[in-house]
Amino acid sequence: MVILGGGTAGWMTAAALVKQLGQACTVRLIESEEIGIVGVGEATLPHIRYFVEGLGLDEAEFMKATHATFKLGIEFHDFGSIGTRYLHPFGTFGSALNGVPFHHYWLRLHSEGKGGDLFSTSIANVMAERKRFAPPRDINIYNYAYQFDSTLFGPYLRDFAIQRGVLRTEGKVVDVEVDGETGNVAALKLESGERIEGDLFVDCSGFRALLIGQTLNEEWEDWSQWLPCDRAVAMPCTTPAGPLEPYTRAHAMKAGWRWRIPLQHRVGNGYVYSSSHISDEDAANALVAAVEGEPMADPRVLKFRAGRRKRSWSKNVVAVGLASGFLEPLESTSIYLVQGAIAQLVGLFPIGPVRDQDRDEFNRATDYEYDRIRDFLILHYHATDRDDSDFWDHTRTMDVPDSLHAKIELWRAAARVATYTQGLFFEASWIAVLVGQGVIPNGWDQRADLFDSSKLEQAIERLRGKVNEAVSSMPDQAEYIARRNASIADPAA
Amino acid sequence: MSDRAIRSIAVVGAGIVGLSTALAFRRTLPNVDLRIVEVTPDPAALADRMPLAWPSVNLFHALVGIDERDLLRRAIAVHHVGTVFTGWPEGRSWIHAFGPHGRPVGAVSFDQIWVRAQRAGKARPYEAYSPADVLARASKFVHPPRDPDSPVAEVQYGLRLDPDLYRERLRESAAASRIGITTADIAGVERYADRNIAALVLNNGERVQADLFIDCGGPAGRLIREVDASFEEWPSCSSNSLVIDDVDVEAATPVARVSRTVEGWTAEWPLPGRTIRCGVGSGEGAVAIRPGRRVRAWAGNVLAVGDAAVAIDPLYGLNLALMHRAIFLALELLPGRDFNPVELAEFNRRWGLITDQVRDLTALLHGCAEGFTGELPESLARRLDQFEHRGRFPFQEDEVLNRDDWTSALLGMGMVPQNVDPAASGVPLDRAVEAMNKLADEFAAFASRAPTYPDYLARITRDR
Repeated sequence: MVILGGGTAGWMTAAALVKQLGQACTVRLIESEEIGIVGVGEATLPHIRYFVEGLGLDEAEFMKATHATFKLGIEFHDFGSIGTRYLHPFGTFGSALNGVPFHHYWLRLHSEGKGGDLFSTSIANVMAERKRFAPPRDINIYNYAYQFDSTLFGPYLRDFAIQRGVLRTEGKVVDVEVDGETGNVAALKLESGERIEGDLFVDCSGFRALLIGQTLNEEWEDWSQWLPCDRAVAMPCTTPAGPLEPYTRAHAMKAGWRWRIPLQHRVGNGYVYSSSHISDEDAANALVAAVEGEPMADPRVLKFRAGRRKRSWSKNVVAVGLASGFLEPLESTSIYLVQGAIAQLVGLFPIGPVRDQDRDEFNRATDYEYDRIRDFLILHYHATDRDDSDFWDHTRTMDVPDSLHAKIELWRAAARVATYTQGLFFEASWIAVLVGQGVIPNGWDQRADLFDSSKLEQAIERLRGKVNEAVSSMPDQAEYIARRNASIADPAA
Repeated sequence: MSDRAIRSIAVVGAGIVGLSTALAFRRTLPNVDLRIVEVTPDPAALADRMPLAWPSVNLFHALVGIDERDLLRRAIAVHHVGTVFTGWPEGRSWIHAFGPHGRPVGAVSFDQIWVRAQRAGKARPYEAYSPADVLARASKFVHPPRDPDSPVAEVQYGLRLDPDLYRERLRESAAASRIGITTADIAGVERYADRNIAALVLNNGERVQADLFIDCGGPAGRLIREVDASFEEWPSCSSNSLVIDDVDVEAATPVARVSRTVEGWTAEWPLPGRTIRCGVGSGEGAVAIRPGRRVRAWAGNVLAVGDAAVAIDPLYGLNLALMHRAIFLALELLPGRDFNPVELAEFNRRWGLITDQVRDLTALLHGCAEGFTGELPESLARRLDQFEHRGRFPFQEDEVLNRDDWTSALLGMGMVPQNVDPAASGVPLDRAVEAMNKLADEFAAFASRAPTYPDYLARITRDR
């Protein structure tokens, strides 16, 4: 098996495959030091924990190596309307009572002008507000992810993979040899003249999509009518004084939004924008004006487009990462999508020649993941009162996919979130963004009316008390990182 | 107070389905006006006549306040730990019980490891690695203890209920909950302009108004058809004529039996005072089953539960399980009395996932026994392709059946994957086999120490 591209996707794929299928195949990765990596995905989702664990890595060592911090959610500013903020926590709000999800009780009280703030019932939210961290006892209450330096993550996995037998070839691909009969990719020719054959090729070449796009011409499904942002300008800065935030921030801007990702040694910043609504220069200036520390590099512009390949697995080429599709990092999904593709690839790894059924199965699962995330991202742009720029006027008034429309209508009518067992973003995530952006339903579960409202108020207050008490006993995130020996400030680092 | 709350419900049908539904709604929504219209029972309403209830029955009993021990003492029920399939297909015998087989190794599921060990000639039968299967093979049952380290901690069990006695028991609960029952047939239906039902006109002259009507009246779907007549037939699930009768009483057993016969198949469900037999056949008293489901089991202000919603033969004993699932799902997603189409669509989407899986499993059982002569549903074809090729399960939304419900049938029927999954090849075999054998020995020892079922039953029903 040959992996093309040594960015985050390439080395994640190499590390996972050698770990899980090392006995079944030889894994070779081709990368060129001349070609830069995009290095997206500094912020991750809790699934990354299981990737790290699955490789058998030590968490503290991994965090130290990638300068990582903990992440309890994403804080959104100015999305629903200017001046508002909310956290999308990696955790739930309260717990079900009599089989009825907590938020129905809260909505009922809210309609009576009672019940207070929903988010203060989420322990992850309160931990984030107070910059505290402790690992969860029950991941159904809250969970966490990491914020790390993706330029260090790839090399860290490279060392892991090479130690376990992945063969690394340095070089630039100058030609792709296609079998005239089957249409399969037969071999890659490098600048050095070397010719590398393979049974299966994984295209991790990023936006270039050298195999899936340039060679096999797999069609691209464009989603820019819903997700118009097509560029980002990125610039790291120094960490300002004060406690280290255990969350990523997303600030809505006139023509997009700005990320802020606090790592141990610096803060990652970037402005994701629509080039038809703002110029590169104005976007860069807006970013420089907004960052909270000293710039550590010049602003760097990246170009992309929202969408995905109609088929991510075609012939004997499997696209993983940006070669397969792109969704902006608003909900930190890039690395999750890589992980999902790897899991499907491991499950469908060809036994003998590639079968159509396996390709179809991979593509079905990939489409499902992409479509679900797409809808969730569009929601952030669409559920807004903002009318202060052409960009927000467009996203507020645009037609959204039918699948998203149905989800929003179900919420508005009945405060229900369509339930799935597969894919990403379950009930609590949708509730956070919907309530956080001011979409308050007209109805709720009628069983929530069975309790006396003063009793419910007392119960919610008790819950808040417990949440606060639990968080008060937790250390600052920086202190916890040091305690775990995961700090780069540690002399042993 | 939500101004869209449902205020009144009329349940049509007073068999097990109608009574169960009414009781669950009464418990959950105590302020709602609720009544039952007892229409003439339809003998083809299998969910009203089949004794086997999956573990979900225990959740249902907890909700409506029915005590298991009371059912045992009054000889209404026995425990159900599993079903032994014989000659399915020819020459094979296997068990469907509830609970997991073996233990996964990392991300590799147990059935994949078993396939590898089996190919190496180092595996015992698949059923040896499930504590529930082992108990069933020994015709024994004990309640799973609270201790998570017990070898039988993960066993789940259902009940087999004498339909006549159980119906009377539900009726007692209905009376205690002050649920009014009117005995009459439906003479006519008054409708609103939007097709929704405004009132039922009964043949005793009564008029029954309600916000919500629940059709528990059997496969004819007398009410649901008024609002939405679309029906999806399942030709792959064999259309059958079934005969249901009683055979000789036998000693109490927690095990049911299904076997192939010349006509097709016969199932026997031993109960405290009798054994109910159901099988393919014709003649007097035979009932015809038209397998399939309502495309929309919830349409407007009519919800269909039981055979009014889905008709399936009782091979895998899913009739009551489907009823319980429908009740719980309806309560989970209870819409407002405006019956907003988006709310009903969500119910119907989830219900569709459930019924499609049941269809697929039933089609698999028939297909395997009959040599896969007909066309298979696409989702089943995909499942079989992935499983037969490498023991993989496809990526899909799951609702009612878990992996072990499928692997019991697939591996039991001898549909062993052609290849060992490459990820399973990485598991050190000798160590895995050693752990497997240890587990199987533990289960076997536990089962041999366990009391006989009649003894156990006598012990737990003894008055203190």
